Amino acid sequence: MKLHLISDFNLETLQRYLVNDTASPKLSVTSAPFGQVFPALLQSAAADASDFALVWTSPEKIVPAFAAALDQTAVDENRLMSELRQFADVLLQAKQHFRSIFVVSWTLPPHLRGNGVLSLRGQGIRKLLLKMNLALAEELDNSGSIYLLDGQRWMETTGNGYSPKMWYLTKTPFQSEVFRRAATEVKAAISAVLGDSKKLVIVDLDNTLWGGVVGDLGWGGLRLGGHDYRGEAFVDFQRALKSLQNRGILLAIASRNEESVALEALAKHPEMVLRPSDFAAWRINWNDKAANIAELVAELNLGLQSVVFIDDNPVERARVREALPEVYVPEWPDDKTLFASSLLDLNCFDSAYVTGEDASRHHMYTAEKEREQLKRIVSSAEEWLLSLDTEVTVEELNDTNRVRALQLLNKTNQMNLSTRRLTEPELLAWQQQNGRKLWVFRVKDKFGDSGLTGILSLEIEADSARIVDFVLSCRVMGRKVEQAMVAFAAQYCSNLGLREMRADYILTAKNKPCFNFWISSGFSYDQKENRFTSPLDQVYGFPRGIAVHLSHSLKSDSVYSNKQIALDPKGASALPLLTN
Amino acid sequence: MEQTRLADVSIKPTSTNGGTKLTDVLNVIYESISDLNMQLPVERRIDKSPASVLFGDGGTLDSLGLSNFIVITEQKLQEFFSFSVDLTEDDPFSPATGHFRTVHSLASYVCELAEKRSAGAL
Repeated sequence: MKLHLISDFNLETLQRYLVNDTASPKLSVTSAPFGQVFPALLQSAAADASDFALVWTSPEKIVPAFAAALDQTAVDENRLMSELRQFADVLLQAKQHFRSIFVVSWTLPPHLRGNGVLSLRGQGIRKLLLKMNLALAEELDNSGSIYLLDGQRWMETTGNGYSPKMWYLTKTPFQSEVFRRAATEVKAAISAVLGDSKKLVIVDLDNTLWGGVVGDLGWGGLRLGGHDYRGEAFVDFQRALKSLQNRGILLAIASRNEESVALEALAKHPEMVLRPSDFAAWRINWNDKAANIAELVAELNLGLQSVVFIDDNPVERARVREALPEVYVPEWPDDKTLFASSLLDLNCFDSAYVTGEDASRHHMYTAEKEREQLKRIVSSAEEWLLSLDTEVTVEELNDTNRVRALQLLNKTNQMNLSTRRLTEPELLAWQQQNGRKLWVFRVKDKFGDSGLTGILSLEIEADSARIVDFVLSCRVMGRKVEQAMVAFAAQYCSNLGLREMRADYILTAKNKPCFNFWISSGFSYDQKENRFTSPLDQVYGFPRGIAVHLSHSLKSDSVYSNKQIALDPKGASALPLLTN
Repeated sequence: MEQTRLADVSIKPTSTNGGTKLTDVLNVIYESISDLNMQLPVERRIDKSPASVLFGDGGTLDSLGLSNFIVITEQKLQEFFSFSVDLTEDDPFSPATGHFRTVHSLASYVCELAEKRSAGAL
């Protein structure tokens, strides 16, 4: 990944931290000459060679009207906002050259007190700066790929942050500690855009979720809530976990305990914030924790790299680090009053997109547990699939589903044919070319709505179609939605009179499940080319038990022959849908 | 961060007849080196040794690196002594002064500044 730094001060210290930090993602970093922010943003040559840009500026240099405020003279606020919008316009123009641009919000050194008690009144400098940051945030809010990063946090977590001596020596306003923090945060932002954020927190119970050992004390003896500083700290830690769940992060338990005793505590303790239904899965037994974590991850259809493990016991942390190096095991404080703040300070959960699917992800996994229970009582996998009453709705990419589609494209690892990662402008530019098609797929069944969970895109070349993206969320994998997606695309291509459809598989460390699907898909496999091919002169059947619907906009498209696609879930395996 | 603070606490100024022990100052400088090394590629990281050449011929640091090192070290010295130490009193980039030539020359310079302060000269 390549990052281009643009600033009106010397950013070389940041560059040094970024390139010498071995943590992922590894970055190659270039810098524009400092003090040339506008030319650097508008010149495309260096920019086009970079994936990302970081723009870090001083408010008085970008908005000269603000310099008047620092000089304690009257400020023309119209001019101030006009200069600010000019900066925002240049950023918006520049976004075509980068996958994403990160802009650091403006800060002031603490010694700039302004008029003290008046600094947040009238044209006080702190009030003006708040207004400017808010206005810039509003200007960039709908930009898609430009993100405003909170520079004030970097200052606050590093003491004073500013160093007059560094300014006079090197034209760098900050202490190196600020750049160290900035390097971590910039990497987290890039990871968020790349979809590498963590999806699951696995927690221990005794002395992690509550104080004490439940097996010894019983749930009534635990330190949790009450008029007890430590009990309150555990409640706050649980609340922090709940806030992650509300953001779409799943929770699970790995604990050495008797399951019945631990679950009773979760269900009955009056001050317990997290109840059994808040956990997507658990392993509460006396087995090795690393083995339990591996099982949990497999059960939830996630990769180990998506997992954070939190345990108060350093021996357990060391064991999991050693056995499962892909799992992120943060160092954890001994002091229980620091649990909540330590959790909330982790940047591995940062995400560049928040969608409705995120907020309801926990409920989707709860529904999945019910599906699995049903699976145990029905006699065959086929019968189980039929009993789910699965419905798939196909849509084209549009304004309402684009954010979720991008998130899915950029976060999915396992069922992903090409693992293509795109920004919003890149996706839109790709889709607008002739001969390209992209559909998204929503999936629901009798247990719940899994939301937008699939993407299939095509590139049509002469008389054949190449599947470019074939992406399916792990939460609906293995329920024959994969076959339904391929059948839909095959029908579409057949209606266009195409002769052949193919899929070029690009192997990654994580997408073996995708290969496993395609190898059993009925397509022929060319090992040398890593290519799956199927002629279109024969019907590629829709799977039994799945009803496929077209969205309203697709129904009006003549390529779909005006035929209603509402499959009988119990119907025959090869349904003549979309055929003329 | 936590470990650094703990390490800071563990180092107490040791004075003999108002003087400052060179070894204590060296320990403070080594902590600064730990921080600064995070900005440097592995092969250019500075050894925690009195003989390590910092600035000038054969030194690891350029002017930006030296400036960062000065500010980091001043902060740690302030925590250590409970008074501020200005390491730029003499031009740090001048070959004539040579205070930043090696870790040992810097430690000696710091001791000298501290002695002057104790004597009321600073």
